[in-house]
Amino acid sequence: MSQAARPARSSYDAVVVGGGHNGLVCAAYLAKAGRKVLVLERRHVLGGAAVSEELHPGFTFSVCSYVVSLMRPHIIRELDLPRHGMELIPLEASFLPLPDGRSLCRWADKERTRREIETFSKKDAEVYPEFGLAMTRLARFAKHVIDQPAPDPASLDPRELARLLRLGRALQGFDAEARYLNFQLMTMSAVDFLDRWFESPVLKSPMSVSGIIGTFLGVRSPGTAYVLLHHYMGEIDGAFRAWGFSKGGTGGVSRAIASAARGFGAEILTSTPVSRVLLEGGRAAGVVLENGDEIRSKVVVSGLDPHRTFLKLVGERNLDPEFVVQIRRYKMRGSSGKVNIALDRLPEFKCRPGDGLHLQGDIAICPSIDYLERAHDDAKYGDFSRRPYINAVIPSISDPSVAPPGKHILSCFVQYAPYQIKEGPSHWPQRREAFGEAVIDTLEEYIPNLRSLILFKQVLTPWDLEQEFGLTEGNIFHGELSLEQLLFLRPAAGWARYRTPVRRLWLAASGAHPGGGIMGSPGELAAKTMLTEGEI
Amino acid sequence: MPVPSPFHPRTSALCTSLFWKDWAGYHAVRSYDTTIDREYFSIRHAAGLIDVTPLYKYEVYGPDAGALLSLVMVKEVRKLKVGRVTYLCWCDDDGKVADDGTVSRLEEDYYRVTAAEPALAWLTRHAARFRVTIEDSSTRLAALSLQGPTSRDILRRVSDAPLDKLRYFGVTRARLEGAQVWISRTGYTGDLGYEVWMERDDALPVYDAIMAAGRDYRIEPLGLDAMDVSRVEAGYIMNGVDYFSAHHCLIESRKSTPFEINLGRTVDLERDPFIGQAALKAEAARGSTWKLVGLVYDWDEYEALFARFGLPPQVPSGAWRTPVPVYDATGHQAGMATSGAWSATLKQNLALAHVHAPYGAAGTRLRIEVTAEYQRHQVTATVTELPFFNPERKRA
Amino acid sequence: MARAAPQSSTYDAIVIGAGHNGLTCATWLAKAGRRVLVVESRDRVGGMAASEEFHPGYRSVGLLHDTTGVRLEVVRALELARHGLKVRSCRPSILVLGDGSGGGPRLLLSGVPAQAAREISRLSSLDGEAYLKYRAFLDRIGPVLRGFLDEPPVNLIDIESAGIWNLMKRALRVRRLGAKEMMELMRLPPMSVADWLGEWFETDLLKAALALDAVAGTWMGPRSPTSNMLLLMHEAAAGPGIEGGGPALAAALEKAARAAGVEILTEARVERILVDGAASPVKGVALSGGAVVSATVVAASCDPKQVLLKLLAPGTIPYRLEHRMEGFRARGTTAQVLLAVKGPVRFAGATDDQVEFARTGGSLVEIERAFDAVKYRRASQTPILDIHVPTVSRPELAPTGGSVVSILVHFAPYDLEGGWDDLQRRALGDRVVAILETQAPGVTAGIVRGEVLSPADIETRYGVTGGQIHHGEHALDQILIRPAPECVGYRTPVPGLYLCGGGSHPGGGLTCQPGTLAARAILKS
Repeated sequence: MSQAARPARSSYDAVVVGGGHNGLVCAAYLAKAGRKVLVLERRHVLGGAAVSEELHPGFTFSVCSYVVSLMRPHIIRELDLPRHGMELIPLEASFLPLPDGRSLCRWADKERTRREIETFSKKDAEVYPEFGLAMTRLARFAKHVIDQPAPDPASLDPRELARLLRLGRALQGFDAEARYLNFQLMTMSAVDFLDRWFESPVLKSPMSVSGIIGTFLGVRSPGTAYVLLHHYMGEIDGAFRAWGFSKGGTGGVSRAIASAARGFGAEILTSTPVSRVLLEGGRAAGVVLENGDEIRSKVVVSGLDPHRTFLKLVGERNLDPEFVVQIRRYKMRGSSGKVNIALDRLPEFKCRPGDGLHLQGDIAICPSIDYLERAHDDAKYGDFSRRPYINAVIPSISDPSVAPPGKHILSCFVQYAPYQIKEGPSHWPQRREAFGEAVIDTLEEYIPNLRSLILFKQVLTPWDLEQEFGLTEGNIFHGELSLEQLLFLRPAAGWARYRTPVRRLWLAASGAHPGGGIMGSPGELAAKTMLTEGEI
Repeated sequence: MPVPSPFHPRTSALCTSLFWKDWAGYHAVRSYDTTIDREYFSIRHAAGLIDVTPLYKYEVYGPDAGALLSLVMVKEVRKLKVGRVTYLCWCDDDGKVADDGTVSRLEEDYYRVTAAEPALAWLTRHAARFRVTIEDSSTRLAALSLQGPTSRDILRRVSDAPLDKLRYFGVTRARLEGAQVWISRTGYTGDLGYEVWMERDDALPVYDAIMAAGRDYRIEPLGLDAMDVSRVEAGYIMNGVDYFSAHHCLIESRKSTPFEINLGRTVDLERDPFIGQAALKAEAARGSTWKLVGLVYDWDEYEALFARFGLPPQVPSGAWRTPVPVYDATGHQAGMATSGAWSATLKQNLALAHVHAPYGAAGTRLRIEVTAEYQRHQVTATVTELPFFNPERKRA
Repeated sequence: MARAAPQSSTYDAIVIGAGHNGLTCATWLAKAGRRVLVVESRDRVGGMAASEEFHPGYRSVGLLHDTTGVRLEVVRALELARHGLKVRSCRPSILVLGDGSGGGPRLLLSGVPAQAAREISRLSSLDGEAYLKYRAFLDRIGPVLRGFLDEPPVNLIDIESAGIWNLMKRALRVRRLGAKEMMELMRLPPMSVADWLGEWFETDLLKAALALDAVAGTWMGPRSPTSNMLLLMHEAAAGPGIEGGGPALAAALEKAARAAGVEILTEARVERILVDGAASPVKGVALSGGAVVSATVVAASCDPKQVLLKLLAPGTIPYRLEHRMEGFRARGTTAQVLLAVKGPVRFAGATDDQVEFARTGGSLVEIERAFDAVKYRRASQTPILDIHVPTVSRPELAPTGGSVVSILVHFAPYDLEGGWDDLQRRALGDRVVAILETQAPGVTAGIVRGEVLSPADIETRYGVTGGQIHHGEHALDQILIRPAPECVGYRTPVPGLYLCGGGSHPGGGLTCQPGTLAARAILKS
């Protein structure tokens, strides 16, 4: 994409700052409604954290986000994304290698899964499908929550009360048992919740980690249980095995959304950094680019995180001090890093040799709950985990287009890597190598010859995520997904409906309800709110 | 990805049809031949031998074994004498059936439970306060079911079991081809028959011995499809077909109580607390809303329906289990038939059906849906007492 | 031992356990004209508030130090003053000792906010100011939180059952705070106490001192989300407390109970709560030794796991509830060290030997690290000590000139790796004394006897499952629905059987509140 690209017009209905997947979804919906939309992306590629890049010749990496899990099916339908090139390849299994030579693999085949779990606990094997059933029931409620703007309990508007009532009724539709389960999910830790169902730590450990991904919480932190539901969301959407790779890497999703947006008439510019929001009489009137150009618009939509949006693009002095306090105490706290590796050939696990289907899923390095807790403890006191939780995938098996024949990509999500290390975040570049080594050392306990297979390696620390991708403190979800930062409190009480205290400035990213992950919901809901409220 | 049972070397060699299914994670033969007739008639006229290893089996030992089982099951199993087997079901708190199966009292403080679904977690969940040991013997024990009029004669030739004294629903220890086995006079066919329980290492010698001894008695290897027809004739319900375990239902209306699925006779209501007691007592007082009944199609109407299209009456070749709606004379839905079969013995078209209680009386005439030439029609079906077929030799 | 027998074989109500909640409940019932028998398995009343003579001449003030949660409304309504109870004039001051080194800064956290703020200002003027604002904020939201604590619980999974008026009343109370503070009230409970205190203060010592009340007795560290709810509850409920501590409360309650006509039977262990079968009403209790006492109401103040899993015959309650109670978390994390000391205890830096309450823990990190140990089934290497020297105000607890030092030790897990034995107890005691020595130099030389009660010992002595001093962990899920949906509102599925201890709303600690609200529920039906 050429540096010289300039906007075709001097004024738009909407300027979207940030070409991440949410910004693009928002732009696509606005353009679909006939609005003149311009998307401005600082980097040379679109997608934000949902991006594919050829970091090493022949190897296309999903640099940050690596599996597509929660992309809302109605967004895929409404934007017709498959026609724009989006293809999802389902994951085959969830594989847990153990250092003692055992392993657990959970499959789509229920009997096979049962037999695998049976080797650790017959009781758990029996309860596992019952657990799935209970979660599936509850996922229906979660759908009510994530597919709508957050309710506002402080409002006295009858429409709000009606909305709360609807949510309440959705809950009342459940029997007492399901309501209690729902209550427990919202209040308990993932481990405490799973303890009520299962006995084997080998099963609980990989199940519980879904509650902490991207957060600075431990698996025993209350409030982490509800994320367990996400694994069962696919079932209610009628899309079995909703977790998958995007063909060509996660950037494929962003490219498809961008293509859809362009198809609706949106204009998208890369390598066009925005320096600030143009304010006139306290309202957003457009943006000022880093090169000094002004672009005027009826609304400005931020696809950036709340810290960046308010403290950088708008500026503290243009905001109510009390709101600044709210935003400042909104916790970002990046806790994870990424290690992307190009491999000369397929790695082989000591505990389950061969190139079986177990490699075509997600591979979790989290042999026990204590292991996860220790990893968290390291981070609490300002260091990366000496033995981290790693979620690895080898997308090149299912999608040969991302690596040369016979070569492979090992994509590792690594937690915990706190942004705030005790030396200070800016010291991350000096610790990057050690962090990468800790990851490789950990993996070599399972794949003994891993080092000898490595052709190329990229280590991304939270500091790098901030510097390169504009994620404040390297937080992949634009803010901690803890209970006090969800729903009507995301990102701040009174400002959870995509509107901001700056009139005509909207927030349409993961820092707004329903939060992070490649869902597309904040972008979609923000666009729909803007349109129904007649803002543009 | 099912696994082979201990009898797989024999059954796979015999299964010329390559017609298999997954039964509780095992490869199981549906029929050895491409048609089920020979196997079906072996049950009623000679003897059929079927591998029932996939049944779940639990050994419950200890001074409180009877107390635990009586808490979990709807029946007071402590009343069972040593050497007796009983058929029963177990429920959740709401009195909804979780599974049905048998309990055998093998010794004073030693019971065996058989179940269609895993029940270890369920049993152990309640065992904390009892002096019991529960062993999941599902894989340790292999099991064969020998069913049919000549089954006793065959077993007499290969085992030392006192078969003449072994009454219906009795169980005894025996030696069979050098192996220590348990033989119970039970089965899922409604005929004279036995089940043989053995260590998995003894599986092949026992199988070979029975097959060899059975040669003179027209023994046939038996698949699931033929047995399925016989169990419909016998009026036996099947978990996952005629009712659904309360543990696996997404919605409440899918669950059933024992009274609703013809298992009311297995419930001992007035006794120490057991799981589901309060709900079942209330239901007994109130009356049940559903009833499980037998339906016999009106053959003349059935034949006439097909004749309209110039077709001979088409009967299913085996048992079917795709539910079909059942209506009353005014066209209101009275319930649904959940499985059925053409009985070559009775020359009747049969079904097992859930109907609203008012339609449950024997003799009630209902209308059952029949698809003929891609069109949906109804024919008369009459509510009938179960079992449909109940030969004297079963108990004699 | 000659076992006493009840005077009668039939009562209107039997209360199991003569702890402070059992006595409270019994007194209320007796005052309403019911004939009440209290059965207590120990040889004395008071439960965790009972005094123990752990060395000849040296008596403790029981297990629990904190009496600030005792509801003054109950004290007044039961006329406990008439029975000798004295309420303190203000919250006791706490000397905050800081980290284990003994050399760091100290802080006298006065019970009077203005005074405390002045002391805090010496460490940080910003925090001194913030402390007053913090107190003012707590005062503003206090009535709303107290409303939650002082009223019967609403069954959150069946909200309509509470009645529309009741709900409106409660909703209105929250709304009256205004939209901003109402939202704030929703933001705070899920937070970690570390995060919230971090929003207010910069001084480690102050944050640690305030955070300990939130996590003491729980299975949480200050970084655990939802721990802030426990801080809010503690602060909302905190009154001045009782002079003489737990034993004084227990003595007054006992007198009030007897005056109301309650019969108290000690050394009588309940073997079984008698019920005829599922969904049948309660008939009475069977005592060990075989005696049967009948009543149509049985109120159990022991922990709910014991009531529902041990005292009822299998099958009496729905298995779902049994299963829930098995999952009800009751993992004790507190140990107690009792020291009999010759002479006074003087803390370093203190001007006199009149310090009654002190605590260690110089920072949130120190408390968090102390908590980390229990996750791995180990006792903290550097535990946090909550120190009470009751002899400062009640010299009669020890021989002339002597001191009793009662230390609640955080954190020590019930399920210690390898189990609790003498070696483990001694090791913990030695660590505690070593820390105390750095804070009160010379104290070790005066120790004539030390007793270590591990959570396992607490379970044995006081009969609380898991040695859990709150009768079940305080945690968001177990506070909002306590102990299980079927038992919200003190009822159980067994008609006539009630729960009246800390395992029910609003939770454990010396408050008299579960006993009071349970009595109200019993009298209502």
